[in-house]
This record gives sequence, structure tokens and C-alpha cells, in this order.
Amino acid sequence: MFLFRHPLRPLTHLGRVLLCMALALLGALLMLVSPPAHADDSDAPKAESPYFFVDSNDPSTDRLPLKSTSVDVRIAGVIADVTVTQHYRNEGQRAIEARYVFPGSTQAAVHAMTVRIGDRLLTARIKEKQQARIEYDAAKKEGRTSALLEQHRPNVFQMNVANILPGDEVAVELRYTELLTPHDARYGFVFPTVVGPRYNSPQGAAAAEKWVATPYLRSGAPSPEGFDIKVALETPLPIKEIASPSHEIGIDGMGTRAVRVALKPSDSPADNREFILQYRLAGDRIESGLMLYRGDDENFFLAMVEPPKAVPARQITPRDYIFVVDISGSMHGYPLDTAKVLLQHLIGSLRPSDTFNVMLFSGSNRMLSPHSVPATGANINQALHTIREMGGSGSTEIVPALKRIAGLPKAPDVSRTVIVVTDGYVTVENEVFQLVRQNLDRSNVFAFGIGTSVNRHLIEGIARAGQGEAFIVTKPEEAQAQAERLRRMIDSPVLTQVKARFDGIDVYDVEPAQLPDVLGGRPVVIYGKWRGDAIQAAGAQLVVEGRSAEGAWRSEVAADAGEHPAAAALRHLWARQRIAMLSDQEALEGGSAQKAPITELGLKYSLLTQYTSFIAVDRIVRNPNPALAPTVDTPSPLPEGVSPLAIGAEVPSTPEPSAWLALLVVAGILVATLVARRDRR
Amino acid sequence: MTTFLPTARAAHRPPRLDAVPAWAWLALQAAALWTHWRWAAARVADGSDDPLGVVALAVLAWAVWRMAPGLRREPRPGWLAAALALSVASTAAVFVAPPLAGALLAALALASGLAAFVPPARPTLPLAGLAVLALPVISSLQFYAGHPLRVVTAEASAWLLRIGGWVVERSGTALQVDGHLVIVDAPCSGVQMAWMAYFCACTVAAITGVADGRWLRRLPWVGVIVLTGNIVRNSALVALQARGAVSEPLHQAIGLVVLAAVCAAVVMVTRGDRDAQA
Repeated sequence: MFLFRHPLRPLTHLGRVLLCMALALLGALLMLVSPPAHADDSDAPKAESPYFFVDSNDPSTDRLPLKSTSVDVRIAGVIADVTVTQHYRNEGQRAIEARYVFPGSTQAAVHAMTVRIGDRLLTARIKEKQQARIEYDAAKKEGRTSALLEQHRPNVFQMNVANILPGDEVAVELRYTELLTPHDARYGFVFPTVVGPRYNSPQGAAAAEKWVATPYLRSGAPSPEGFDIKVALETPLPIKEIASPSHEIGIDGMGTRAVRVALKPSDSPADNREFILQYRLAGDRIESGLMLYRGDDENFFLAMVEPPKAVPARQITPRDYIFVVDISGSMHGYPLDTAKVLLQHLIGSLRPSDTFNVMLFSGSNRMLSPHSVPATGANINQALHTIREMGGSGSTEIVPALKRIAGLPKAPDVSRTVIVVTDGYVTVENEVFQLVRQNLDRSNVFAFGIGTSVNRHLIEGIARAGQGEAFIVTKPEEAQAQAERLRRMIDSPVLTQVKARFDGIDVYDVEPAQLPDVLGGRPVVIYGKWRGDAIQAAGAQLVVEGRSAEGAWRSEVAADAGEHPAAAALRHLWARQRIAMLSDQEALEGGSAQKAPITELGLKYSLLTQYTSFIAVDRIVRNPNPALAPTVDTPSPLPEGVSPLAIGAEVPSTPEPSAWLALLVVAGILVATLVARRDRR
Repeated sequence: MTTFLPTARAAHRPPRLDAVPAWAWLALQAAALWTHWRWAAARVADGSDDPLGVVALAVLAWAVWRMAPGLRREPRPGWLAAALALSVASTAAVFVAPPLAGALLAALALASGLAAFVPPARPTLPLAGLAVLALPVISSLQFYAGHPLRVVTAEASAWLLRIGGWVVERSGTALQVDGHLVIVDAPCSGVQMAWMAYFCACTVAAITGVADGRWLRRLPWVGVIVLTGNIVRNSALVALQARGAVSEPLHQAIGLVVLAAVCAAVVMVTRGDRDAQA
């Protein structure tokens, strides 16, 4: 009422200015005070990430204690026995703890570790992971030299060696066995040398895992670590051809049943790409049979059965293809060029009755078209044209990309094939497997790994979870052959409804319990335990039945006569297979659901798992000041072909225009003002 | 002020001090503050700053030269006293304050000296503004005011972009737009645009002859216009960057267009009335 009787006087000019200033100040204050999602860097979730190695100029600490890695491989038939020796030498003046994150084969069963210090030998014991870590930390604090080998992923391990005194030479030796399964009658042995720089998503479960923060040397920098590998092969049939697509090798004994392979010395570093050795046996035969091993308390068997030959199907059903392509920073350059050639072959070979769509993902994702389009020439050309223009940059958010794929609508009578093309440099493998298994079960998921040091755990896991196959393409020249292989596999599934039956011996704990469909080129592999006496063993027989393209199929395999030289490895191989099955189960259920059975298997069969570690502790205290020993993270070389964008890229910003241009503009405006005034007067 | 000529013996000595021209007094004062000009010259020469101050100095010199015929013969004592006090302060500041503070006081001292001689009804404050802008201030402004400006700009840009439909998250001065990270870093803070805008305001006022009080009342609007302009420029560039890489010429072009708009607005706000005297 008061306001109506005595209305406010209108503001003076000064009053208006002051009012506006007050409003502006209030606005600025509100903006600064209102809490946005991540107002402050300290609130934002952080994730460990790889970084570039910076050599400090402190001469007293040796920042590169790993001097060389030597690998000795013995392949007997289909079983490879690998001994990896890491030589650490402290050339500084301070005692150090060395940490080294290195890869292993996804199928490796690491079963022994020894540490040689000077002239003494320590044998490592297998222990539960947390207990081993506690024991290692205690030994480190006391000043004893000790070594701890831990597993972070099935193909990522970490070696910790504490209290390496100045002048010490410590050689850590670990042994693993692996089964070599042939593809299309070609055997391949893969030894990975470097873990690629992983993108660690802040929303992923692995955001806080410390091993991801490994240092990398810039590409082109000379590798300070030596690498050497020697392979000795003994095969039941003479070797027809043997070659390495990754390294230059020298072959001794070609055409016989005992061949030796060694690396040729070269100037370029040998440890920035995985070592791949491929060979074929005479007659393109594969070693099939039923291998029996009689152990002290348990007997093991391994059966490998050659599948029927692939026959082109009479009827081709139209399919819907979804290509999911990784265009993150780690793919920039050579890997993306390889992926482009691969997509050219994959998309180019689609039939007009097929439909397809392409998703490109890095930090965000986008589909090339709102829904699948028919694979006509015009659509294919347009898609390939867009893909050719892509460059790689950004992070690798694969989980949101796959979630979007899972949500795509699908007609019920169309079969869908999802093809994932990536280098696999992520830490969220379990989440991806869970997503694929739960949401893409109506599609077949195939995975292509691109690069010289692909994360095979992700690629193989995606294929397993999606009931597809894994393909690895290391260079553009291989793209066409792999695309052909996929085409053949999709067109003609070889064996379905596979069942196995054993006659003569009593088998139990068979892996896998349910035999998957054979898609092409891959033998049926069965592990298990058996009971029976020698006579029963001699007459044992395996019968595999299934349906092939030509009808019912049956194969009978008799037990191998005599003991296989590497049969003792079956213990470890069976246990590794069982652990892999439990880990897949755990990935599906999430968390540590299978911790107890996996730990029990690891301890009983002395295997490295995600819940058991190897530890060796010296009994002598040699370091008087253990608290002063710094921890040195051994740098890895950047995988060949991967650009520095995998680790960091220049972030775009919004700079102001250059000063002189700005001055010109201002001068122009002032002159215009002057001229306008003159004109007006 | 009337002058009393003494009629005693001293009458034979002509009062030469009175005959000394104004520019000589100013030159003398400038010479007394030589240490600050030496520092400013060194700063301009060492490459740590864009030498925009030279342009402001040139404009100031031209403005003084234009009004040189009309300079008072008898300086205003109030301004003279201020000039003296500021000169003493700037000399004292050499020992206790950073060099920029001393240089600022010296510039203001010189401006006060100039104000004492400026003809009646001519603007004096814009000349002080030009004197301050002639110093190498941009780097220091970046250092002290850069980060707050960037935070405000980033936050306002984030609001604008959200209204436009993008998904934006701000973390410090970095914006996450649709999965792309764009940083509002030092060259984006708008300090250069602010310098240009205030330079425009001072120059236009010096040329067109705006009354001091009126000019001072219009000055806060210059700040508002600059901030708004920087926010608009930043939002446009971030939106474009989120779609894909932006070429360098396009960056510059957008920045210059916004700068032209800002300066035009500043000129319109601060220029004199239609019938202002020359």
C-alpha cells in the first residue's frame, strides 16, 4: 500500500548504471557458485592412464633396470613349453625396486618361477594374491631381495623385484605351457612383447588399477632393453613351410621333424611387436588324436579332432551386418589404415541381398545411417568414402558403443552379424564380455584385432562371448585373406550340435562341458580327466558326432600309443582351461563370484591366476636402508605402428585472433567513426 | 590565477620560469621518471608481450600533439599537486612494489601533469586511460585476471550450449562437449579483446571530446560488452569444435567478427554527442 501512495522515484542515470553493475555482479556470483557436474578437477573421477617415460638426470638411480628378455620356446607336437628370462641389473648407486608390466599369451598356463641372484637360486611358491602381496611388502621393508609375479588380466602380468642392490644381477625366469591349435591346417605360435597403452575409462571398474599407468618410450627412441627368442620345434610330421610375418628369422633344419628358429640380428628394435611364427605340416595334416597322461594322483587327456572340410552352402541366407569400428587415438595412422583396407574388403564383398550399417566410435559414437541399408554399390561406395576420410583421435569408450548396438532394432527373421574392429586397448574387458553375452546373444559377434600388439584377451573374449571367431590383422596385406576367411565362415558353418563320447575309459571334469559349434578351420579340442587301467587306456576311443552341411558326421579317434613327450603339461593345460571357463563365468556374473574355485585350482596346480601369485623371498637381508629404495617403473616401447596419440593428444582450444589482425580491425572501426563524424559535420 | 610581479630589485630578472612552454615541463617530468620507461622498453623488447602498448602510446602522442597549440599557459594547481604526489609515489614504488605498479603510478603521474595543461573542456581521463594502456599490461592482466575470466567464460558458454541442445560438462576451464574435450586456455581469456575495447573507448573519447564524468559513467558498459563478446565467441568456437576440427582461418575470422562487433558497440556507447565540439 505504501508503494502505491509513494511510488519510487525513477532512478537517476548514475543509479541506473549502479543497478546494472549490481545485477551483473549478482549474475557472475550465481554462475560461479552454482555447482555443475564437475566444477572442480578434484571432484572429477580420475583414472590411471599410461604416460611417456621421462628419463631423470639423477645418475644415482638406474631408471632402466631391465636389461634384456630372452625367450626359449620348445614346441613338441601341439604343446609349447616357454621359458622367459628377464635380466635385471642395477647400474646406479641406490638400491631400487623394479616393476615391469608385460604381456603373455592369452592361453598361457604360467606354472613356475625362479629367481637367480648372483650364484644363488630361489624357487617361487604359489600363494593367494593378497597373502603374497603382504609377504612381498614385508620382505621389501626388511631389505630382502624378493620377486612377486601378479596377474592383472589373462594376458597382462606384472613382475615386482624389490631391493636390487647396486651392481646386482637378478635373473627372473618364468615358465608357461600353451596349446597350439591350428587354423585351416596352419599352426601359429604367438609371443606378445608389449602391452599396448590402454584407455582407462573413468566410469569403468578398472579406473583405479595402477598397472595401467605404465610409462612408454616414444616411437623411434632406441629400445634400451634387449630381446631375443629361440624356438625349437619337434613335430610328428615333417614341417612343410615355416615363416614369421612379424620378424626376420633364421631357420635351421627345414623339411625335417626337428626345426630350430632364431631371430636374425637387426638394428630396429625387436620387442615392439608380438612375435608370430606360423608353420604347416606335410600334407596340410593336423595332428589329431587322443593324448593320455597318467599322473601320480590324477590322469589327464587331451583330444584334438580334425573337423570336416568346409563345403560352400547351397543356400545363402541374407544377413544384416553391423560393423563397429574403433577410431580412437591409438588407432591413428597405421592401424586405422589397416582397418580401412579390411573394411574395404569386408563391406565390398557383401551381396545386394545383405543389409549393413557402420558405427564409428571413440569418445562418442555415431552410425553412418539411421538404420541398415541394402549393400548396393552406391551405398557401399558412400560408406567406404566416409570411412576413408576418418582419422583416429580421442578415447576408446567401447562399452557405450556396444550398448547402442545392442539397442538397435532387429527384424525377427533376419540374422544379424556384428563385426567389431579394434586394437583392444581398453581396460573394461569383463564389462564388454558381459554386454556381448547378455545382449547380443541373438547375433553372432566376430572380432577383428588390428595392430602389431593387439589385446588378444579382448578380441578372443568378444568372439567367445558372441559365439563368433577372433581374427588378427597385423598389416594391410593380411586384410584380404582374413576377410575371405570370415566370408567362408559365415557362409558355411562347418559343424553344429557337436557331441563327444568316450569308449573304454571313464572320463570326468571334461572341458568344455558343452561343445561349441565349429565355424570353420578349427579342430574340436577337449580336455578332461580319466580313470582306468593300462589295458583300458590302450583301447580307449573318442567318438565325435555332429551335423555338417552334408548331413550327420562322425569321427572316431583312437588313443595315442605310447606317452607323448610333453604329456606332463596336460595337468597345467587342463587346469588353465577350467580357470578360463570359471573366469568367463565370473565376467558374466560380475565381481569376484568365482574367487574360491579359481584360487583352489591355482594353488593345487601351481598356476598363476587373477587370485594367485608367485612369490620368491631371499632369506638374507642385504639392503640396510630399504625405506630409501625408490620404485622404478620399467618403460615399454610403444607398439609398432601406434602413434603417440594413443597416450596423449593436443586438446583443441579457442584462442583469440592474432594481435595485429585485431589491431587492423580496431583501426578500421576508429577510422570509420572519424569519417562518419566528419561527414555528419 | 593572477601573477604578481614584484617591483623590487628582482624585477630586472625576467620570470623565465613562466615562459617555459608546457611541453618542456612535461618532458622534464617524463625525464624524471626515466627508470619506468626503461623497464617498459625492456619488457616490450624481450618478447614476453604483444607490443600493443606502442600503438596506444602513438595515439596518445598524436592526441597531445593535436591539442598542443591550445595548452594552457598556467597549469591547474590541483592537477600539478596530483602529478607531484604520484611522481613521488612512483619513485618510492621502485623500492617496495613490483615494477608494473611503479610504471602504472608513473603513467598516471604523467597523465596528471598533462591534465594540468590541457585546455578547458577537453577530455583528460581518456588520456590517462591511453597512458595506462601504453604500458606492457597484457601479460600481467593474463596472469592475474586470466583464470577467473576463463572460468566465467567457460561456465557461461556451457550454459549457452546447453540451451542450444549440446551435452556439456565443465571441469575447471575445460569443456566436455559430446565426448570432445575443448579447453578455454590462456589465449582464449578475452584479455586482448578487453585491451582493444578499452583502447577504442579511450581513443573515441579523446577524438570526439566526451565529458569526463559522462565517459566515466559509460566505462562499466565496456566491461560488460567485452565479457559478453568473449562468451559469444567462445561458445561459437566450442560448438564448431565439437562438430569436428575447425580450420585456423575460420578461428581467426570468427574472433575478428566478434571483435569488430564489440568495438563497434563500445564506440557507440562512449562517443560524444552529435554536437560535441572538436
